[in-house]
Amino acid sequence: MRPLTLSRLLAHCAILSAILFVVVVIALKLGAVPVSLYGLGHDLLRVLFRQTSQLSSEYQLIIFDIRLPRILLGIFVGASLSVAGASFQALLRNPLADPYVLGVSSGAAVGAIIALIIEPHLALAPAVAALLTPIGAFLGAALTVTAVYFLGLREGQIDSATLLLAGIISASFLQAIIMFFMSTLTGGNYRGIAFWMMGELQTQPPHIVSLVLRFGFFLAAAAIYTTAADLNLLLAGEQEAMHLGVDVRRVRLVVYIAASLLTGLAVSVSGAIGYVGLLVPHVMRLLFGSDHRILLPTAAFGGAIAVVVADTLARTVVSPSELPVGAMTAIAGAPLFLYLMRRRLA
Amino acid sequence: MCSRPRGFVLTRKDARKKILARSSGAALLLFAASSCSTLQAQTPPVSPVAAPVYKDYVDEAGRTVRVPQPVQRIVSLAPSLTETIYALGVQDRLVGDTDYCDYPPDAQKKTKVGGAINPSLEQIVALRPDLVLVTKSLNLIETVHALDNLGVSSYGTDPHTVQEIVSSTERLAGVLGVPEAGAALGADLERHLADLQQRLSGLSPRRVLFIVWSDPLISVGKGTFIADALRLAGATSIVDSAQDWPHMSLEEVVRLQPDFLVFAASHSDSGQNDFDVLAARPGWRGLDAVRNRHFAVISDAVNRPAPRIVSAIEDLARQLHPEAFSTQPDDKEKKIPPPPPPLLRVLDSSMQVPAHLEVCACAL
Repeated sequence: MRPLTLSRLLAHCAILSAILFVVVVIALKLGAVPVSLYGLGHDLLRVLFRQTSQLSSEYQLIIFDIRLPRILLGIFVGASLSVAGASFQALLRNPLADPYVLGVSSGAAVGAIIALIIEPHLALAPAVAALLTPIGAFLGAALTVTAVYFLGLREGQIDSATLLLAGIISASFLQAIIMFFMSTLTGGNYRGIAFWMMGELQTQPPHIVSLVLRFGFFLAAAAIYTTAADLNLLLAGEQEAMHLGVDVRRVRLVVYIAASLLTGLAVSVSGAIGYVGLLVPHVMRLLFGSDHRILLPTAAFGGAIAVVVADTLARTVVSPSELPVGAMTAIAGAPLFLYLMRRRLA
Repeated sequence: MCSRPRGFVLTRKDARKKILARSSGAALLLFAASSCSTLQAQTPPVSPVAAPVYKDYVDEAGRTVRVPQPVQRIVSLAPSLTETIYALGVQDRLVGDTDYCDYPPDAQKKTKVGGAINPSLEQIVALRPDLVLVTKSLNLIETVHALDNLGVSSYGTDPHTVQEIVSSTERLAGVLGVPEAGAALGADLERHLADLQQRLSGLSPRRVLFIVWSDPLISVGKGTFIADALRLAGATSIVDSAQDWPHMSLEEVVRLQPDFLVFAASHSDSGQNDFDVLAARPGWRGLDAVRNRHFAVISDAVNRPAPRIVSAIEDLARQLHPEAFSTQPDDKEKKIPPPPPPLLRVLDSSMQVPAHLEVCACAL
């Protein structure tokens, strides 16, 4: 492992943020309504020079009130899922761990749906009521991760195969619960089953939830980053890390809570988008190595790029209709999962 | 990937670098986020058309809707609403509808904004609608909220009975600025329904199984407008479920022994075909209705809460109670128009408009 230098980290982040910027511009251009790149550049410049009054109103509404908020949402959701995936992989010492595969996303979805069901029965202020869904999603994610962790133990040690099986079975159990809720809630006019199982970014969350999503991301990601060096040592094994002076219990607690928070927040606004947390950290590891002090920030950028690309495809492939973004990530993610599984078994 | 890290000691300097690096990365993202949020603040959603006059309406979901006057550009997010717009004769103002809006055939030529559940918001906005029409049973509340945030007015309907379909149509006509057309259409529909009730009075209702979907078997619950339509057609659904679209087990159907199976099909042949497929399945022979080929095929208009449902109701009544249509009712003979031709014939030449719509067009 090459020693970490600040300049190397910054260089990686700069490259990735440049790619993210290009992806965002392309995502802004593409959509059901054609927008010329020239017109887009023109308008972007005008926004930069604060001459917003000169924008054509149609562009303004479509670009700045529909596409841009959606892209921003995708950036935060992708970064959250990817950082959560990277930290689960390190903590569970399992390269196939990911919030979706482990059932954590489905657990968050069940929590969010239960919050939606009980919300009308509690007389809450609108701002508090809006936060009930993310809170429910966080609790659902935290409970699932705890359950899957204990189900994955064998003789007191985390066993890779057992853990994965526990996660996959939990995911399918929780998805059955989602199906049950969505088909019994007649007339509830909730988002469909597809939203909770495959994810989509079309609907903007209430303003307060967007704020919580952004600040929650920075808070949780920072918390996980404080354990980055310990996660490196944990790769060698829990016993070994403990001998090297790592407070394994503290690391485990911090990472589980923070990763559950990231997953819960992402799922409450976008549903269960799969495989981002699996695919992105692996690509970043191939590119930049497995030092978590570099992996975690690069994974955040990579996740953002992946979800923005997937969502752009989701809303353009069958335009003007839309596909769930999770269908796009699964098309890329599921084969990769199989490839990694085969390689690991070989 | 689980290789053991080599030469890895965290010094105080490293830690400081680490925090510095993290915060700079975070600052970068924060900057992106904050610059975008200020950008949004500078460009508040504006109404796509700067219409000076607004009128407030309370829609059927209880929301107060500001509707620009006059309503010149309409986007419909449900097939039933598209049909209603055509029935009211204001199709020229319909600038966009969904992929599923297939009736009348002209509606397929309108600009598509995607499905009813997942329409493309940007496509809707690009059409610069004065008013977007939604219906509570089909569209999502999230779509309505998103349109609200973009400053696009949306009006929601929510009919649960045939009577409410008629009154909802009349109310919508008022919102769209054509109350006379709505009143004429409503009166015509009422006249047809009254004629039907007169013909069917005294007849005992047929016990029917309405088949929404045959595999898996899905019927209608008692709270739906379809169950109400069946009642008006002189039928009663054997299904007594509070769920709107209950899954039915075959043994339950065999136990209840419906007199008739009712299929809704876009084409009469496909309804016939549905029956044959069902009859060939194991177990279905146990139904008297299948053995005696007691089934009715009506237009899939019955599935849509739109004015056309009345002709589907009449058609079903004809098939279930043919004896009621052999003679004209005794009184009011002059006021009642001759009963419209059966819908099945109409369906074969799809360009033809159902009779009651023709009447309406004449009234206009």
